[in-house]
Parts: sequence; C-alpha cells; structure tokens
Amino acid sequence: MTTSALNSQIGGSTPPRRNYEMADIHYLSGRIMFYLLVLTAVTVIGFPLFWMLICSFKPGTELYTVPPNILPQVWTLQNYRDLFQQTNFLTYFKNSLIVAGGATFLSLVIGGFGAYSLSRFRFFGIRGFANVALVCYMLPEVLIVIPLYSYVVKLGLADTLIALVIANTAFTLPLALWFMRSYFNAIPISLEESAMIDGCTRFQAMMRITVPLALPGIVSVGVFSFNHAWNEFLFALVFTSSESNKTLPLGLATWIGQDNIYSWGMLLAGAVLVTVPVVFFYLLVQRKLVTGLSDGGVKGE
Amino acid sequence: MSNLNQSFSGDRFLAYAALAPSAFVMLLLAGVPTVTVFVTAMQNVGIGSSTGPFVGLDNFEWAIHDRGMRNALTNTFIWVFGSVSIEMVLGLGMALLLNKTFRGRGVARAIILAPYLVPTVVAVLTWRYMLHDIVGVVNSILVQVGLIDRPLLFLNSTGLAMTSVIVIGVWKFFPFAVIALLGILQAIPQEQYEAARIDGASAFQQFWRITLPYVLPVFLLTALLRTIWTFHKFEIIYLLTGGGPLNSTTTLPILVYLKAFSDFEFGRAAAISILTFGILAVLMAAYFFLIRRAEKQQ
Repeated sequence: MTTSALNSQIGGSTPPRRNYEMADIHYLSGRIMFYLLVLTAVTVIGFPLFWMLICSFKPGTELYTVPPNILPQVWTLQNYRDLFQQTNFLTYFKNSLIVAGGATFLSLVIGGFGAYSLSRFRFFGIRGFANVALVCYMLPEVLIVIPLYSYVVKLGLADTLIALVIANTAFTLPLALWFMRSYFNAIPISLEESAMIDGCTRFQAMMRITVPLALPGIVSVGVFSFNHAWNEFLFALVFTSSESNKTLPLGLATWIGQDNIYSWGMLLAGAVLVTVPVVFFYLLVQRKLVTGLSDGGVKGE
Repeated sequence: MSNLNQSFSGDRFLAYAALAPSAFVMLLLAGVPTVTVFVTAMQNVGIGSSTGPFVGLDNFEWAIHDRGMRNALTNTFIWVFGSVSIEMVLGLGMALLLNKTFRGRGVARAIILAPYLVPTVVAVLTWRYMLHDIVGVVNSILVQVGLIDRPLLFLNSTGLAMTSVIVIGVWKFFPFAVIALLGILQAIPQEQYEAARIDGASAFQQFWRITLPYVLPVFLLTALLRTIWTFHKFEIIYLLTGGGPLNSTTTLPILVYLKAFSDFEFGRAAAISILTFGILAVLMAAYFFLIRRAEKQQ
C-alpha cells in the first residue's frame, strides 16, 4: 500500500504523458472488471428464466439428455401443442383472467372512490383509515383464510370463481386505496375547484379532471392488483376443488405435485405462457408511466 | 373563494359516502375474519363443523408446548433471517451496479428485475426442473465440474432443503430491494461525490461516508418490510417442498395451513396463526414507527 502510494508520487514527477497512460490503464482495467461483474450478475440471475424459455422449445428427448445441451438441436412447439391438447390449460387461463380481472375491477372502482375521499377530506377517522388499509395489506393470508373458508362454505360459494374474486379483493383493495390516494394527492384541488366554478358538479369534476390526470397512476395500480390476483395461490388452493374452476397457479401446482418426469416440457411451456400477461402488462405500465402527468391540464396552472 | 373552499372540502356526507364501500369490504374481508380467528382459536373445532366446544386458552397452551410449533418457529427465523439478510446485501450490490452509467444498462436492469415480476409458480417450476436430481442442469454442471460425484437432492434432503428454499426465495424477491435502493441512490446529490473526490477520498471512503448514511434509512425500512412479507410467505415454500422433508422447511404459515386443511384442527391452526400474527404485529408497529419518524424528519 505504502510502496504503491510512493510509486504514484514518484510517477507524478515524471512527464505527464506517462501519467495519462497509467491512468488510462487504470481506468480501463477498472472498466473491464466492472463489465465482468455486471455480466456475471446478469448471467447468474437471468439463467433460470433463460433456461425455462429455451427448454420449453426442446423436444422430449433433449429435455432428458445428461449433460443437457445449452441450445436445443431441434426447435419444436410440441410442448405447447401438448399443453393445449392434453391439459385444461385454457380453462385455467380463462379462470385466472376472470379472477384477476374481477378483483382488479372491483378494487379500482370501490378503491377509487375511497382513495378520493382519503385524499380530499380531513374528517374524523379518514386520515387514520389510510393506515388501516396499509395494515390490511400486510395481514398474513393464512390468518384470514380459515374464517374466509368457513364463510365461503356457509354461503354455498365453495368452489366458485366469485369466491376467489371477492377473497382476492381483501388484498387488492387496500393496495388500490393506498396507492391511488397518493396519486390523487399529487393532483391540485384547485383544478377541480375551477371546474366547479365553471359549472361542473362535484362528480363531473372528479370524473373529467381528477381521474384522467391520475390515469397513469390508476393504470399502474390496476397492473399491481392484477398481478397480485394472477399470482394468488392460497385462496385458490383452499376454496377450489373441481378441475373446471382451477386458476393457473393452482393448475400448474397440481402438475408439480405429480412430479411426472415426462411432463417437464409441457410444464415449462405452461410456465412461459403464464408469464406472458405479466410481462405484457409491465411493458404497458412502463409506457404509461412515461407519458405521465404533464400531458394533461397541469400545464394550465 | 373561501366560500367555495368550504363547500369543497366541507361535504361530510360525501366524504363518508365515498369511503363507505371500501370500509365495508375491508371490514367484511379483513376485520370480521380477524375477530373470527380469535373466536375459533378458543374452540375445539374439528372436521365438518365451523364451531365447537369452548376451550378457553387450551389451544394456545398446546401450541406453546408443541414440538412442531417450536420447530416451525425456528425454521421461520432461519428462513426470514437468511432470506432478508442476503436479499438486502445482494440488493444493495446490484443497485450500486445499476446506478452507474454503462452500455446495456437498460437490458441489465430488465434482466435483474425480472425474477420479481415472474409469478411464483413459474419460479418454482423452473427451479424444480433445474434442481432435479436426474435431469436437472445444476446437478449436471456440478458433477461435470467435479464438485460432487453424485447428484444432490436439493429439495428432498433435510440438510439442503432449507438452504435451497432460501436461495430460490432470494432470487425471486431481492429485486424489490434493488428497486427501493436504486430510487434513493439516484437521489443522492452528485456534488457530494465531486467534493469528496477533490478532497482525495477513495471509492470505499465515498461509499462509507456518503452513500451508506444516505441510503441507511431506506435500507432499514426496506429490510423491515421484507421481513414482514417473508415472515408470512406461504406459496413459495409450500410449492417447493410442502414443508418437508421431515418438516425441515415447515415455517409458521405452512404449519397453520397443514394443521387446518390437512389435519382439520381448525382451533389449533387458528391459535398458531394468532401467535404468528402477534410476532408480525410487533414488526408492523416498528415499521409504522419508523415511517412516522422518517416523515417528521423530512
């Protein structure tokens, strides 16, 4: 350490050109190290998903070769064909769409009005309610699944999609409330006030001014909710018994349980297709978030 | 103007009417069930019924002395502490990498954040395939490199299952820490680093004296939030090992599920879930306390 410090001091007295070269080498080696680090991180973290995608296109024989080929020698869609022909994948997919879509819709509508109230009013209990929402969001699923199960059975809703839509709302609604409140907070009240001076009713002012301005936020809340319900497993596991009402996570999980060595290709194809909507919505939000608030009437301020 | 202002935020009826549906739904889906769990926990509820004879605190007493419960408690602490500490360190490291400008940063960021977006069931499927003892790529590589001479049962041996589950959990959830920390890293004023560099501070000193103090509050808050969520994580463990082998990965949420829906001992399951919730409540209180303090400081 001391010798190198000494060296660099000696180096400082030699002509400056050499010094630059040293600095360049130093910089370059640092840069190479940095890129190696990034490359390692990306390879290790990205490998499982890469492997899932690649293997879903491998024919059955190649899935079980030891050691495995990195890239398939023959690319095939057979796994995807099998998935649709031999399983109820489409039913699961449809059920998941209904459950996630239903829970998201309910949360956005109910939570939209709720969040508006949380953001615009300061009456007794309203401020505290935002914290209640956050607590509800953090409640463990296993805590409420036992009583919810007994209600569902009593109401005759066991093994229905409606039960799953409602149960999922237990988590997506607090999420929607908490986030939409902050989006509404970001929109100045004065905009609504001027709309009301111009003759809008309160509801019109909310629908025509506040909601459109908060739209990017509302869309991302929608995506979060959808994602949450799309992933939800415990409620589906406990409430559902028949094949025709299974959601995607539950359907795929049942195959895992069987651990049939010959169905890996199909399972991986299923895994890829479950991921597609999530990626699609993520890209959608990213674009929406870029357009942002400034597009709307805030400029008029 | 003040007149309008008053009418604007002075409509008490509207305020409560807009909030009422949300309040109703949350009361129905979170409030009432939470109370019901306490009632169930004091009953001896068996198969085919939703109520049973009142037994007071017997279920709690049973739970405190139960060996399975203690095992689950130990496992939960290993799972939570292992996962969160690695997630946070890895998350900070990756956030520091992604905070630098370099070619291909967008792609690197997308790949590093991807595991968090992928549904849990997908992550589980992929890892189960990769860790398979016969066809799995991980065993295949380890054997070829010569690190092991026969395939390891990553998820089916008592010695390895918990470690494997933690590794997979970290892979799935560490991007949350990256996102949270990247946000705060980008908020650090660059002048501070320039000033430090002029004064001759090394990269390590810059990290220790500028970055770390700046990041620390968010780091702790994120760690606490991850602790809360990891604590009651259910499906990733359930789908990977089902709590096995020999209960070596049975955490408290798994135990609650198994007691309720496999043994059908709803009363005891409810008691365990309340004890779990008690630990969580302390963590949540700490979280709210920290948030409140952070808000005041701003």
